[in-house]
Amino acid sequence: MTLAIFLFISIILVGIQTAIPFLVKRTIVFGITVPEKHIKDENLLSYKRLYTLLVSLLSIVVLAGYVFWALVSNPGEEKTVLIGTFIQFGIILFSLSLYFFFHGKTLQLKKTENWMDNLKQVKVSDFSVRSQDEMLPWYLFLLPMIMTIGVIGYTIFQYDLLPEQIPTHWGINGQADAFTEKTPLSAILMPLTLLAMQIMYLGINIGKNKSGIKLSATGTNASRSRQLTLRKYSSWMMFGVSLLLTILFSFFQLTAIHPDLFAGSAMMATPIIFLVLILAGTIVFAIKVGRSDKNSVDEVDEAITDYDDDIHWKGGLFYFNRNDPSIFVEKRFGVGWTLNFGNPIGYLIVLVPLVVVLVLSFL
Amino acid sequence: MIIRIEPDSDIPIYEQLSNQIVEGIARGWIQSGDSLPSVRAFASDLGVNMHTVNKSYHQLEKKGIITIVPKSGAIISSPKEFNDSSLALLKEQYKPLIAESLVAGMSYEQIQDLVSSIIKDFKKI
Repeated sequence: MTLAIFLFISIILVGIQTAIPFLVKRTIVFGITVPEKHIKDENLLSYKRLYTLLVSLLSIVVLAGYVFWALVSNPGEEKTVLIGTFIQFGIILFSLSLYFFFHGKTLQLKKTENWMDNLKQVKVSDFSVRSQDEMLPWYLFLLPMIMTIGVIGYTIFQYDLLPEQIPTHWGINGQADAFTEKTPLSAILMPLTLLAMQIMYLGINIGKNKSGIKLSATGTNASRSRQLTLRKYSSWMMFGVSLLLTILFSFFQLTAIHPDLFAGSAMMATPIIFLVLILAGTIVFAIKVGRSDKNSVDEVDEAITDYDDDIHWKGGLFYFNRNDPSIFVEKRFGVGWTLNFGNPIGYLIVLVPLVVVLVLSFL
Repeated sequence: MIIRIEPDSDIPIYEQLSNQIVEGIARGWIQSGDSLPSVRAFASDLGVNMHTVNKSYHQLEKKGIITIVPKSGAIISSPKEFNDSSLALLKEQYKPLIAESLVAGMSYEQIQDLVSSIIKDFKKI
């Protein structure tokens, strides 16, 4: 069981890591801005292919070895988890170092071939793009929060029914495996943590909504479609995760109050269903966004290119621009969002709830 | 309407913004009553400082081209009656440009042709 879960997660991880060069924005190659007319450059394409080949090859070998080892020597649950986690980190680390290698190569190529010379660098914006934005409104995120407050209220109401030992951690099979003394605080600690996470999701949704819809000068239609898709599906995804977490946590809380409420099979299935739904959602999201700018074609005849903001991208991964009021921006390598580290509001939205969750978990 | 700015140009960004908004109105891409994006949204879409957009909006408001309504943003005003004071204001702005054109060696006809060709382009005549 443990092996199957780890293998499943690892395969999805590898799948996304492998496909990243083909899912990112088309004018960004390994975190470097590339003018539209050079994105089909032979060297660049070979870098992408080599990256994919190396990551997938190494991953297949390591994962096959992992399965073989786990099946033959039967190492026990704890060791399987430990090695499995180690392998996942290893794969991420390996693809990250490959990324940095090709990041340097691409930068060098761009310099030696003088791709930016004789091109006017421009930034564009569309007045009507905001009206096409389909992000979920912020107040929808209050819905799961109301559910959580309901669960907290119910727990306080049924405080006497709670056992003397409050469960604080659950295994993958849905059974509690760690407990703490019953106090008024420990009884509602879990839904309280959930509430902090929900506030974070709400904050992130508002932050993304206020962040810029960045269009490309040379691929206005393609980038518009990508940005709108990213915004729409990431807000759906966040709402879905928030809702699923609420259901999962409420389920645990209710089982603590009424141990016989759900059958054993429901206990077993819930965390697995949760995991599968989250992973499936992630894949659909990555593919939807990754493909959204591959269809529309823009014709550019003038000698213009996107403004080269590589200097704001530290290592091609971290965005730092004090002038940009955006809190979040689209990732350069990968699918999704990253913080504008030059904007202090971003730290606030992400760090404060995280600190609250950490403090709550150490109480 | 698409706005396109060149951050490395000699013309300051706020002026590029104002110029393009005015040109958009002249071309009929945006009309009086249309609202402009909020300062924050516009600045984050372009990745420029909010002060830059603010400066441009205030410049346009001073010229009477847009009205800034607190909380609801900037709206393009309906054309005001053209009077002597607006003529005098524009004349001051024409003068250095025409002087420069003459110094550069343009003839009277060439300047006239240039002006009418630009108007024709804007009005699509």
